[in-house]
Amino acid sequence: MSYEIPMGPYHPGLEEPYKLDMICEGETVRDAKLHIGFNFRGIEHLAETRNYIQVIALMERVCGICSFIHTLTLCQAMEKLTGLTPPPRAQYIRVVMGELERLHSHVLWAGIAAKLMGFKTMFMTCFELREKVMDVLQAISGNRVNYAMNRIGGVNRDIEDPQSILAMVEALEKEMTRTIIPIFTTSKTATSRCAGIGVLTTEKARSLGVVGPVARASGIGQDLRKEAPYAAYSEMDFTVPVVPDGDVRARLLVRALEIMESCKILRQALTKLPPGEIAPPGDGSKFSFVTGTATARVEAPRGEVMYSVSWKEGAKMPSRVHVRTPTYVNMPAVRFMVQGARLADAPLIQAAVDPCYSCTDR
Amino acid sequence: MSTTEITPAPIANPVSAPYSEKIGVFWYGDSSLNVRDVVRAMNAVGARFITITTYELPANGGFRLEYHWDLMGVLLGFTFPISGKTIESIYDLCEAADWIEREVHEEYRIDFTGREYEPLLLRGGGVCGVNLQKEVLQ
Repeated sequence: MSYEIPMGPYHPGLEEPYKLDMICEGETVRDAKLHIGFNFRGIEHLAETRNYIQVIALMERVCGICSFIHTLTLCQAMEKLTGLTPPPRAQYIRVVMGELERLHSHVLWAGIAAKLMGFKTMFMTCFELREKVMDVLQAISGNRVNYAMNRIGGVNRDIEDPQSILAMVEALEKEMTRTIIPIFTTSKTATSRCAGIGVLTTEKARSLGVVGPVARASGIGQDLRKEAPYAAYSEMDFTVPVVPDGDVRARLLVRALEIMESCKILRQALTKLPPGEIAPPGDGSKFSFVTGTATARVEAPRGEVMYSVSWKEGAKMPSRVHVRTPTYVNMPAVRFMVQGARLADAPLIQAAVDPCYSCTDR
Repeated sequence: MSTTEITPAPIANPVSAPYSEKIGVFWYGDSSLNVRDVVRAMNAVGARFITITTYELPANGGFRLEYHWDLMGVLLGFTFPISGKTIESIYDLCEAADWIEREVHEEYRIDFTGREYEPLLLRGGGVCGVNLQKEVLQ
């Protein structure tokens, strides 16, 4: 006999509001349906009522974790419509901020995953590290969450003392190498709890078009930083970790390895930070847009973010802003990940996607 | 229009005609394409479906749907103007389009024919769906 167990939209096993209706036989999940939209905000419509300065502040609020990435993608699209190219120093600062945000996101996720594994000491350790990543972000931007760093044609704040930031990053890397990395790559606790569950095969991952660490943990080596480099990524030396297993442990492993790669990129970007301006001359309050639609894509911590921005010449407000977030394409995969899984594993499996409902309910 | 004709052959090189690059996107130049033929062509070359962007045209002129695919980092775009509110679904050919089609349906009441879909439950206040349509918002 099968029965349906609803999980959410408000449930202790879920960090954010969505609903997973699971069809179970005994303790085994046979199928699941997902529902989103409980906090849908209509941000794309709001964007059409904001001018080119205000829209940056608005889109920064699509996501609390990837706020920099959202403004970066938006600004890159608007730069295509204004013909502005950010100076090299601004491009490097964008790389630094983007990688710090990836560290922040992955460490936060690691903490939540540890909690769902029943490994609460690790949860505390990860959240302590997260605070330290936010200290670095604050040292650069003055803010801990919404950084207000991007502007059309550059960035708003310089990294005046890259050496001091580098010292903070190196201390952070040392701490992560001592704690998170060995726990998530070699510990028996993590392996026994995560190996073999929530499997998404390479074939299914391709079919669903999943992105980011979820794709890379299913053997698909896609990463826009390599395939379609933006900012200063073409000048960075790094590898894209790919694990073929497709289970929760593979997702754990990919993110742990990505933390190390992000530290490597940060070291390079901070060491090679070129001199010069961080934005075009002027006060940054007046821009001329050409009529058209521009699209920009960025590799966010959870995968590809894409913005399509449409403008009419002479207008102050966009005529359309469309946002495709990574969680929106990764979430449907949860249905297939939980099929055949134990009910008790469902919270950890859905969390392994690193879902962001702020992005989803944009 | 056959599938072979719109297959973007040697895509690793700069994409050739009938594609033309415009602000970073390689657009296919023929707007009389059938959306399902495009999907078959994209599937044949292993392109990854990204999204559908909907533009509401002024003066009740219908909609313009832009479909995007990624092929080894190259962004490909296909435009489909629709005068009414229906277009063929691609869900049976491209599983990745499921939630995207459902979202467009709820936001603009566009029907993707040939499929069944459950609501995603997007809401504008207490109203389910149709959040972005200008005639509804005004």
